[in-house]
This record gives sequence, structure tokens and C-alpha cells, in this order.
Amino acid sequence: MRKGLLLLAGLALFATTVSAQTADEIIARYIKTIGGADRLKAITALRRTGKYTGSGGFEAPIVHENRRPNMVREEFTMQGLTGVTAYDGSNGWKIEPWDGNKNAEPLGEDELKDIIDDSDFDGPLVDYQQKGNKVESLGLEPVEGTDAYKLRVTSLNGDVRNYFMDTDYYVPIKIETKRMVRGAEREFETSLGDYKEAGGVYFPYSMEINAKGSQNRTKYTYEKIEVNVPLADARFAKPSPQGKKPAGSDR
Amino acid sequence: MKRSVLILTVLLAVSATAQQPAPAVRVDSDTISGLGARNIGSAAMSGRIAAIDAIREGKRLTVYIGSASGGVWKSVNGGTTYKPVFDKQAVQSIGALAIDRRNPKVVWAGTGESWTRNSVSIGDGIYKSVDAGETWTNMGLPDSERIAKIIIDPSDSNTVYACVPGKLWSDSDDRGVYKTSDGGKSWTKVLKGTNASTGCSMMSIDPQNPKTLFAGMWDFRRKGWTFRSGGESTSAPSGSGLFKSTDGGATWNDLNGAGLPAKPWGRVAVSVAPSRPNVVYAFVEAEPPMNGLYRSDDSGRTWELRDRSQNMIWRAFYFANLIVDPKDENKIYKPGGGLIVSNDGGKSFSGITGGAHGDFHDVWVDPDNTDHLITGDDGGVWYSYDSGNKWWKAENLPVSQFYHVSVDNDMPYHVYGGLQDNSSWVGDSQYPGGITNSRWENIFGGDGFWVFADPSDHDSIYAESQGGELGRVNRKTLEIRGLKPLPGYKEGKLRFNWNTPLHVSPNGTLYIGSQFLFRTRDHGQSWERISPDLTTNDPAKQKQEESGGVIVDNSSAEMHTSIYTISESPKNANVIWAGTDDGNVQLTRDGGKTWTNVTANVPGLPKNAWVSYIDAGHFDEGTAYASFDLHTFGDMRPYAYRTADYGKTWTPVVAQNGNVRGYAHVIRQDLVNPNLLFLGTELGLWISLDGGNQWAQYKGADLPNVAVRDLVIHPRDNDLVIATHGRGIWIVDDITPLRALTPENLARESFFIDSKPAVQRIRAFGGWVNGDAAFEGPNPPNDAVITYYQKKRHIFGDLKLEVLDAEGKVVGTIPSGKRRGLSRVTWSMREKAPRIPPAASGAGSATTGPRVLPGTYTVRMTREKNVYTTPLQVVGDPRAKYSIDDRRAQFALATKLSSVLNDMTFAVDRMNAVRLALDDRASKLPANDSLRSRLYKASEQVDELRRKIVATKEGGMITGEERLREYVANLYGDVNVYDGRPTNMQTERAESLTRELNDVVAGFDRWTAKELPALNAALVKTQRSKIEPLTREEWEKTP
Repeated sequence: MRKGLLLLAGLALFATTVSAQTADEIIARYIKTIGGADRLKAITALRRTGKYTGSGGFEAPIVHENRRPNMVREEFTMQGLTGVTAYDGSNGWKIEPWDGNKNAEPLGEDELKDIIDDSDFDGPLVDYQQKGNKVESLGLEPVEGTDAYKLRVTSLNGDVRNYFMDTDYYVPIKIETKRMVRGAEREFETSLGDYKEAGGVYFPYSMEINAKGSQNRTKYTYEKIEVNVPLADARFAKPSPQGKKPAGSDR
Repeated sequence: MKRSVLILTVLLAVSATAQQPAPAVRVDSDTISGLGARNIGSAAMSGRIAAIDAIREGKRLTVYIGSASGGVWKSVNGGTTYKPVFDKQAVQSIGALAIDRRNPKVVWAGTGESWTRNSVSIGDGIYKSVDAGETWTNMGLPDSERIAKIIIDPSDSNTVYACVPGKLWSDSDDRGVYKTSDGGKSWTKVLKGTNASTGCSMMSIDPQNPKTLFAGMWDFRRKGWTFRSGGESTSAPSGSGLFKSTDGGATWNDLNGAGLPAKPWGRVAVSVAPSRPNVVYAFVEAEPPMNGLYRSDDSGRTWELRDRSQNMIWRAFYFANLIVDPKDENKIYKPGGGLIVSNDGGKSFSGITGGAHGDFHDVWVDPDNTDHLITGDDGGVWYSYDSGNKWWKAENLPVSQFYHVSVDNDMPYHVYGGLQDNSSWVGDSQYPGGITNSRWENIFGGDGFWVFADPSDHDSIYAESQGGELGRVNRKTLEIRGLKPLPGYKEGKLRFNWNTPLHVSPNGTLYIGSQFLFRTRDHGQSWERISPDLTTNDPAKQKQEESGGVIVDNSSAEMHTSIYTISESPKNANVIWAGTDDGNVQLTRDGGKTWTNVTANVPGLPKNAWVSYIDAGHFDEGTAYASFDLHTFGDMRPYAYRTADYGKTWTPVVAQNGNVRGYAHVIRQDLVNPNLLFLGTELGLWISLDGGNQWAQYKGADLPNVAVRDLVIHPRDNDLVIATHGRGIWIVDDITPLRALTPENLARESFFIDSKPAVQRIRAFGGWVNGDAAFEGPNPPNDAVITYYQKKRHIFGDLKLEVLDAEGKVVGTIPSGKRRGLSRVTWSMREKAPRIPPAASGAGSATTGPRVLPGTYTVRMTREKNVYTTPLQVVGDPRAKYSIDDRRAQFALATKLSSVLNDMTFAVDRMNAVRLALDDRASKLPANDSLRSRLYKASEQVDELRRKIVATKEGGMITGEERLREYVANLYGDVNVYDGRPTNMQTERAESLTRELNDVVAGFDRWTAKELPALNAALVKTQRSKIEPLTREEWEKTP
């Protein structure tokens, strides 16, 4: 951990000149800042535990689990009932238990796009070429008064995300997502912050998401990020319909 | 981590100092814009639309709307929803739009409206987007000021023509027809006017032979006191005319005679029939009776006069546009006060305004279904699906053009304002469910300007229409009593400005200004004339009956030598300021007995500037702030001054060539911090924290660079209410944080800014579903707002925010904002939600915790090692009728029910744990083992108890099954949603449900005491582990 931070400090020294940089340079510095490719690759599984904050004081515990190459499970617990959205690398499914139905259902088109994005273990910038993503550097564009490099990432499916990378540290501080759903655009903004180290790599511990132009923000705050926890295949695979197990016994 | 981040900060600081002295803290837009704003609209009135283009992409219709002063709006669903796509650009006035038919991702926007009424805004060139409006690049023509038409060569996307009328208020060579052949990189002027006031007013291309172009040229000039559309100027013969090119603009023929009227002309419109390009229509503003529509059937060689009905000929400067149906050369639409259409090649026209607003400017005809029209007028956008017989209003374009705004002292307060061609309105500053169009009420008529609630009579409103047509409106019956001051015997005209100033003092005294200042203290029953003519009374500027150019047009829009702004000192009602549209600043210190003209004391101010606003100082009677507007002389720079000695000396508070852009409409001093100033210009809102030395543009909530015409600070709520001319009303809730941004504070890493007491607003239900096609303005947050400042964006490490009660217990944690400058976060003022036992479905009525009691709380911010705290006062809603004892009773019962739910969850979790343990052990025993069936039976007994508490029927249907959990959760929800005393029955029900739960729990305890020891003995006997019921202590530790 100490070593990583020294590296970070060293990088910052060189970061005082803000000049035109290529997308590859920016991404390389980003990877270095957060701990380097080796440490990143050494992480094969990730569990992030925290809290969802909605409007009017609504809060809910969340657990986000990722496993390489592209499995993801996202849990949201309300009143002892845990909702799940997951992707096993080929199928996306969800359980929304709050209306009395605890069966797993397939994800809709927009939800599936969401979770496939989330399944990208290192995010779309790392190894973007292998993933088929196109990345362009669009120069400087400040985020709420903080200078940032704007990188436009176009995924294979045509969805566009703009990554705003802080010019001092090269980590993303904001992401704009533009997604086509049934031929219509959906636009979101994600703010990232509270970067902290876990397993030798820096992760954002705070995320805020809002539909573009809306002041209603959904907030995720992670309290704990664990790396290389054992995550069995079964956590990501769609479960078969429930039998007559008594309600409540799933706790 | 913490330590290293500190090292990092130090290293950064060192590296910065090594190169240069430490820079001063940036005070810029982002320092202040973290105070968000709310656009409350409305789209009920909407506003003037200057240009429209649309294209079908696949089966869906993409529409671009160019508003007169509110940017470009794009719809990808035929108008169901729009988004503004031009907000980041330097100007918001649109004159022309063109979509490239060969590549619809390419869109051109010409800025600066060409419908040159007195209040028209300005542009700064031609813009191009290559990504369907997402981003724009200014491609040149920066001094064009306005653009009437853009034509893309249908055979070559890189060839584009721009029809530039040019500057309205001054001579300029930057006008005429411009052409680019390289997609906008370079432009050539291909048609030049014959004098410095003649530019292009309309242009049309032959789509089948795109080298053939027609251009109308227009000689025009507006001044503060007159307007000239065509005719001769004082220095040169009229340049208006109609021109044709057959070589892509290289050479032009002046089309004269051959059926066209004699010169001089005014504004000219021209349109080639796309389906039969030999047919060309031209509207020519000429001396009556030869003004009207002309048709040529031979591509402009000969012409014949056709229609000259009223809507064809009047107000050419505002309506000279022709739209020929794409499939039928004999069908022509002509915008006017009404929209008219001809089906016989222009011989006759029928009115098709229907239920639309009127004052039309553009029409788009769907080439795939020519019954489908989109039109824009002074009241917004309208759709027709039956060729203009009936119109459907766009309810989602908040491009309303306010002139002024005021507020009352209701709770919540109302917002009052008048709009260009859209009357005077009252709107809600907040409303349960959102500020929809229906939360705005029209109360007057005509063009609207100043509107005030009468502070001395809650049921009355003062409003006016153009030219000082003042009325007193009964807000219940909407009856209007006319109050306009009238001239005396043989006195001639009282000169009331288009935008006549009204001023209302806190006690209800009303002022209105013509060339004289009038005052009434009895609601207009009697008027005192309290000044002589305060203007220059220059007769050269009083010839409005001759105004118009070729054809007279005297609508009171050019009325001049009149009072334009009035301000009574809040410190002394005998100190009254008046500013005139012809440059006089006048002051009385004896309630109007004597007046002093202090204009000559204002240094560096060109003569005859409009005194656009005077704000009498709020802290001493000798102080005043004044803004001046010289745009009617072609000077678009801001002017604003301050005096502290009754106008004897003035100091500029804004530099003409500094960072503030646009001519100044309004300057206001804060009500609390004398150094906090607000300046509204044609191109945005600026704020100064230091009395005018530095200004930063406010861009909270992406407020665009739109004209800010008026500002008011709510004296009780400290909200800044912004009247934009093009984007409706915006509210910055609670500006008190701006008052704390002193230079010392700005240099600190971070600090909390005292919040005003957080009101626990009463919970109310309002509004209804409106679909996606309707505007809805947001409310202020229902939560406590906490504001803090950070010198830099927070990126690494924790930034934690917690709320503590008076005992120091943490009652809430808040996700933090990270941005540089001011950040705003909210706290729900609620405790943690109760735990709810798992069951068949969720309990929606118990998802949030009890609302905390009013009192003093502490907000604690932890940034790495540094801890900051600030007190937070939580208060009840002043509208609430219940007492603090009622509130305590509510809190006590909500808390009790919350703890009943927690107890219940513990009980169910305990039962579930025993049950699972029994099942687990049973399942490991052979099927014929008697212990196995004993264990299963025991499990069933426990489950029977559990089913008394929770509903268990699954399957996603509405089972209606209710048990104790559902009863308690619903009761909790009912108690928790109303802050007053619970009903007696609610209290009794809470008691009985608690007892019922205790009965079940006691039953389980009895069962545990009676059954479990024997079962455990049997388990131990067979070397199996005992079953230990969960303790409360253990349970509290589970999440």
C-alpha cells in the first residue's frame, strides 16, 4: 500500500503541465495511478459492500460482486428481502422479491446493457482495444470547475461513454453514458470520488448517478471493498424457480 | 493512506511554488455554481420561435426548434420530449436552422434572430454540429449579429449559403449572402448590400438546379425611438431588392420591373416551389397598394401581384417568410399575426391560426405527409395533423420570455412576471408534485412586464400591458380595473415606454412612470404627479407616428423619452430614483418636490444610454446601483455604476472589456451583504462577491447564457429569483452561502457555511400524471440542505458527512458532494428506518425512519484527518397548525412503532433461526428416525407462530394477506406521514398490536421453555449440537 501511494505522489509531480495528451497516454497514467496493470490483473474477484441512498432518507444495504472475466452480481436489500441483478457472462437475470415473487426473471434490454457494462471487470478503458472499444481523446473539459481530460469510449454495441479524467491524477471523476434503448437515447451521469486503496489498487468508494439534467441522484457509498474473495459460479448463475421453501428461510 | 495524501498535497504545493508564486484562489463560475437552480418554467406560455427544421430518420421524426432567445431544442420523438442542445454556446438567440438532408447528423444553426422587434436578442455567428446537435462549433461570421436563413446545397454538403441581415442597431459591412464551399472553414460574401444598412432578409434555392438562388435584400435600422424597414436612409438610397443567381452565387441579377413594384422596398421574402422550381413566390414590402405577394412562373423573369390581404402585408419586419408546400406548387403558407394558406397559387388566402397563439414566424411541412405541419409563433410550437385546420400545443418548451419578476410573502411564495407577447402570470415557487404548467395562472393580457402583488391588499395584483396599460386585478374573481394615469387638458400624450416601469414600496405605494413620475397611495383611485418631465424631451425622438420605414408601424414599441426604471429607497421613502430611456438619472430626496439630474456625474458613460435599472441601496439612502444599456446604439457591452453620495459621484462596478458579456439589464445589491452584487445581462447572470471588482458567471444547474432581464431576492427565504428572457423563471434556493464567501474563507481548504434553519415541510400530495410531453419544474428539496466549500475537488480518501443529535449520537450519514467551490448535500431529517421481518413481500409504508424532532443538530465533516462541524437548526413548518407537544406525541408513537417493528423482526429472526436449525438437523437424520419427525413437527409449531406475525403467501399476486407485520407497518406509515398528533385510535391500535405481538412472542418463549430442552436433550444424546435461540445482543450485531 505504501509503495502504491509513493508512486501516486510521484506521478502527481509530473502532472502539473496540462497539455494535449493521447488517449493511450492518459489511460496509461490512469492505470499507473490506481496501482499498475500487474496489481490490477492480480485481482480476480471483488466484493464491494455498502449503502444505497435514495431520496427522502431511503437507504438500503448493497453488495456488488465481480469475478473475472465478466461475472457480476449486485444485491440490494430492503426489509430483509434481497433483490439480485446478475450476469454470468452470457445470461442476465434478476430477482425482485418485494412484491411476493422471488423467482429469477430475465433482464430487460436496458437492464442487460447496464449489467454488461458492470461486468467489465477493469472498466472499458483498460485493454480497450482487445475489448473492441474505441477511445478518442477530446481534449480538456472541466467537470464542475475541475480540469479534466475527456475520453470518448464507444463500445462495440455503439453505446458511448465520456470519461472525464482528472488532470492531476488521471482517475475518472465523472462518466457520461449515452445508451440506445429501443432506438431512443438514455443519458446518465456518474460522479466518482473517495478513491481508496484495496488490494493494492485504488477504487472509487463513492458514486452518484443521475439521469442527465435531473437533480435526483442515486448514491452508492461503499464501506468495504474486498479483493480475491471466493465467489462460486452459483452466485452468478440464474437459479431455477423456487420450490415450496418457506418464506423467510432465505435469510 | 491518510498520511500519503497529505504528502501528496505538500508535494503538489512545492512543485507549484517552485515554478511560480502560489496562485490566488480562483473565484469563477464553478466556485459559486454549486448552488443549483430550479427552472420553474413555464411552458404554459412558452415563447417566440424563430426557426424550425425537421427530418425523418427511419420512421421517427427528429425536430429542431430555434427559439428567439432560448437556444435550440431537439426532439427525437416528433415532439413528445425535447432537450436543449445549445445551452453551452455563447448566445441563445436563433435565427435559422438547417439539417443536412444527405447526412442528418450535420446541423447548422444561425444565431441572432431576424424577426427584429424592439426586444430582439443578438447572435455571434454561424454554428455547425456534426453529431446531431450534441456539440457545436462556431464556424464564423462572428459579427453577423443575426442570420435569417441557411441553405445547404442539396447536391454538396460542403456548400452552404448564409443569408445575413446583419446588425440591427448600427452600420456594418458584415451582411449579405455568404457562401462556403469547404463546410464552413472559410466564407465568401457573394452578395453585398448597396449600403451599410442592407443585408439579406430571405433566401431560397432551386433544389433541382442548386446553382439557382434567389435572395431578398433588406435595408433596415432600428433605434431606441424609431424603426425603419426599407425606404431611404439618411445617407444612402434604399438597398432593398430581389436578386437571382444562376451560378451558385458568383453573380447576381437585380430583379426589377417585370411586374415587380417600384422601389423603394422594405423587407423581402422569397421561396422557390420545391416541386416545380419555375414557380417562385416573393413577398415585397413596398408602397401600398403594390405591397404584397408576387408570383413568377418563369423562374423570376416576370412577376404578377397576387394576394395582399392583411396577414400578407403587415409588419414585414416580423413576418416576411413564405413556405411553399414541398409537393404542391400552388399551396403556400404565409406567417403573420395569423397564419394564412393559399391553395390557388397565391390568389387567395385563408386564415388557419385556429387555437394557436398567433404571430407566426416559421412553418415546417412534412414532405412525407403534407397534412402534418409544425409551426412556431410568439407562443411556442404547434403541431397540426390536418393541414392546419387544428393545432396541438407543445407543452414542453419553457422558452418563455420574461421581462420582470416579483415575489409575494405567501408561504410558499408566489412568483409574478410579465412576458413578451404572453401576458402576466402568477406561478408557484413550489407545489406538491412539481410546478407543472397548470401551476401558472394568467391574470392579464397583451405583452406583460411588471407585475406586483399589492403588499397592502393580498387579494390584489398590479399588472400592465405594453405602453403603461396598468390594471389592478382581483386575484379571486380576476376582474380588472384600469388605472393608467391620463393626460390633462390639451396636454398631449403621456409617453409610456413599451416596458413601462412600475414600482411598489413595502407599504403598497405604487409608482408608474411616463415622462412624469406618478404615485398613488390609494390603489390608483387618485394619482399624484410627483415630477416634471424627467427625460430629455427630445422632439427628434418623438416621431413614432412616422416610424416603420416604407409602411408606418407604430405599436408603442418605439415610444421614447420616457421613464424606464424607478426605485424608492428602502431606507427613506422620500428618496426616489428614476432613470429614463434617453439617458437621465434623476433623484428626489423630498418625495418628489424637487429633482436633481445627476446623469452628468456618471464618468465614462456615453450619452443617452438607457438607464436599464436603478437599485436603491439597502443599507443607506445615499447609495444606489445603476445599470445602463447602450445596445440600441450598437454597443453591446455592460455598464454599471455605484454611488454612495446621492449620485454626486459614481464608480464603475463592471469593466466594459472584462469577463462580463452582454448589455446590462439589471443590477441588484444583496439584502444582507453589501458587497454581494448580481448583474443580469443579455448573455447571462454574473455575481460579484467583492462589490464589483471581480465577477463570476453563475451557471448553476446549467443556466445557459440567456438574457437575464430581472432579479429579485426573496426577503424572507433568501432565494434569488431570476427572470430570463427566453428560458422562464429560475430560482436559486437560499443564497446565504454566497454571503459567506469572503476572501479569507475562499482561501481555506474547506468550511461549512451556516445554513438557514431546515424546515420540516408538511407532507402533501399534489399533481397528477401528465405524460412525458409536459413541462414540470422541480421543487426545492424536502430535506435539510447543508452547504460547504472546498478549495479543490475531493478525489482521494474519505469525505464523510454525519449528523449528530444534541446528545452526540449519529442520527444520519450523508453521501458527500465532491466538487470545487460550493457543494450542497441534503439530509432527510429522518432516523434509520425500522427493521422489518422478511415476509412474502415488502412493506412499502415503512421504508423510512421517523422524522427527527425539531432542535439543534450538528453536521460533522471528516476529510481525512480534519474534522469540521456546523450546527443545523431543524424547525417545524410555520404553516403547520399542530403544537410542539403534538409533534412530540407523533414522534413518540412513530418511534414506538418503529421499535415494535424492530422487536418483531428480532422475534421472527429468532423463530427462523430455530426453525432452520430444526430443519437442518432433521434433514440429516434417516427417514425412519423418530427424532426426525419430532424435529420437523417442532419446526412446524414454530412456523405456526411465525405465520401469526408475517404474511407468507407468495407468487406475486395481490394476496391481501395481512398479519401483525402488515398491520404495524401500515400504522407506522400512517403515523409517520403526518407530523401532528396521532389520532386516539392510532394510539390505541398501537397498544393493541403491541400486545398481540407480545402474545405471540410469549407463546414462542413458552414453546422454547417447554419444548426445546427436551429436543436439545435428544439431540445431545445422539451427538448432535444443541439449538440455542438467538439473543438480542447477537441479533443487534447482524446487518
